[in-house]
Amino acid sequence: MPQVIVMNKKKKKFAYEPNFTEKKDYRPAGVKEMGLSFVGHEISDDRLNMNQFLHYDQLYIIRHGWNSPFFIGLLDGKILGTRCPNCGDTWVPIRTHCWNLDCNLEKTQWVQMPLSAKVHTWTVAGWSGRSSLKRLPIILVYAVIGDSKVAIANELHGISPWDVEFGMPLEIVFKPKDERIGAITDFHFEPADGWKPSPMNKEKMRIKKLVEPVYEWVKTIK
Amino acid sequence: MSKKVCIIGGATTPFDYGPTGFESIEGGAAECVKETRADLPDFSLRDLDFMIYSHFSVHFGHQLAPEWIIHDHLGLVGLPHFRVENGGNTGGSALYAAALAIMSGHHDVIGIVGWETMDSVSQSQGSEFIAMASDTRYELMVGGIYPIYYAAMANKWMKDNNVTEEDVASIAVKNKNNAMDNPKAQWYRTEHRYITIDDVMNSKLISYPLKKYDCCLMSRGVAFVLVCSEEYAKKVNPDGYVTIDGMGLSSCTIRAGDRLNYPSWKERYGSGYPEMTEFGACRYSAEQAYKMAGITNPLKELDFGEIHDAFSTSEAQIYKALGLADTENIAQFIRNENTTMHGQIPMNPGGGLIGYGHPVGATGLMSTIECFYQLSGMIPKKHLSKETEVAGAECGIVNSHAGTGTSISNFILRRN
Repeated sequence: MPQVIVMNKKKKKFAYEPNFTEKKDYRPAGVKEMGLSFVGHEISDDRLNMNQFLHYDQLYIIRHGWNSPFFIGLLDGKILGTRCPNCGDTWVPIRTHCWNLDCNLEKTQWVQMPLSAKVHTWTVAGWSGRSSLKRLPIILVYAVIGDSKVAIANELHGISPWDVEFGMPLEIVFKPKDERIGAITDFHFEPADGWKPSPMNKEKMRIKKLVEPVYEWVKTIK
Repeated sequence: MSKKVCIIGGATTPFDYGPTGFESIEGGAAECVKETRADLPDFSLRDLDFMIYSHFSVHFGHQLAPEWIIHDHLGLVGLPHFRVENGGNTGGSALYAAALAIMSGHHDVIGIVGWETMDSVSQSQGSEFIAMASDTRYELMVGGIYPIYYAAMANKWMKDNNVTEEDVASIAVKNKNNAMDNPKAQWYRTEHRYITIDDVMNSKLISYPLKKYDCCLMSRGVAFVLVCSEEYAKKVNPDGYVTIDGMGLSSCTIRAGDRLNYPSWKERYGSGYPEMTEFGACRYSAEQAYKMAGITNPLKELDFGEIHDAFSTSEAQIYKALGLADTENIAQFIRNENTTMHGQIPMNPGGGLIGYGHPVGATGLMSTIECFYQLSGMIPKKHLSKETEVAGAECGIVNSHAGTGTSISNFILRRN
């Protein structure tokens, strides 16, 4: 990034200062930053123990900085990778500097990646973090996009959890444009056109048996 | 020539989850120090010349620099102190820092206090806090918790190594059942029962191939370890001190998918390693530790280990990374029960993370303490019976492990 010296009437500035003009706010209604507040407590009947309930709500600004083109690319329905102009290694997730020590942290170049990938490994989750519970069961795959040297994690949709296979071809599917937020969840993987699962086998039966109670349990989550 | 590093004592609070624990963090630390003092009457807090604090997530306690509270509470104001944080390898890294300080000759007697209070939020929120040690921009919102990343790595590892769900389940059974001999272990204090491979196989799905009983416990707990020079060890615990004869620390990528073609691994071990399946940082740190301790055949020369079984599958992966087995024989190595109490190299006689618990900042110290107890002949005093004693043990390995294998340390401890 070239150093830009912006002159204005008030004072000299010695750093590039982005001008954020395209703003979107999709905070759910009713969510307010309260900062720190005690919201309750409980005391044991022998009065020897006390638990206090603290609520903490704070807005974070994730400043993507030099990584921003990747996340802006997601809004545009594109997967951007980076490539080292010296050794040619390519990555998604991206690196702004090359990992080869012989390239001396060479600055990388942005390249548009194909919307196709291949499963490297996978799992079927029946439990997850608080923000993900309602989406269970989740198929998580690590997949290699195009000629990337690394695998990227994301969800695989459009397939029964027991049908996932190592090496299966995938396509990248983006959410509708108005639902995208510039985050990794703007896209997911689906089996590539024409891919058919192999017939039922012992391992698939086992996964099916493990996953079925998850569907039932998720229905009970409020 | 660097100075010899010794461990002369240590203790943990009981590991637990929820309101059954007695302690505050500073109260727990005080009780651990008092138990150590009861074992070592000649040790005085006045002898300490450095304190290292081992704590992972300030999210859990909602307190930045909580070590300042503990340090003050222990009456140690004036002594130098700092906190080490290195994910799940926080305890191992704190021990590494202490060892460096002794080796340099700059410090003589160092206390390490480690803790975590993971029950301050719900289990699913706690899992999400830990997953904030993934690359949050790329992985937190699509995986959500560490077991999912580990499951994806293990799924391929098990296929590549012909290891079955039942094989790894036997490791979970071993560790939970070992914990039944250990009154401070969370499994002993909560579910309190002996289990079978079927129990593991029938427990609920966490992330295929991991079920609930394949996974370690979320815990609250505190631990204290006393590390010192040999001169001090001979003065305070001449018959029971243990030496750190080897140690290694290594690193790997934060995102597991980034290690497929990582140039520095290719340079060290050739193409295709560690893949997304092996723990390269465990292999390399073990190689460093073995070299320093003069170990050429770990399977023969190590008597036992306390290793980082965050998941049954990771314990199996660690066996390989430690050089105890290879792709050809790892499945048979497990099936031969080599790592049970009656096997060639018992692993996690103290219960490990699956049985004892995993209050992150205290975990590596817990493993160190259990290894120390074995080597100093204290197991009959600390466990309920001799069933989990490795009789006559001379040499043990302590393993501490972070991220998706992102930072790993190994220590070779020997009976004096």
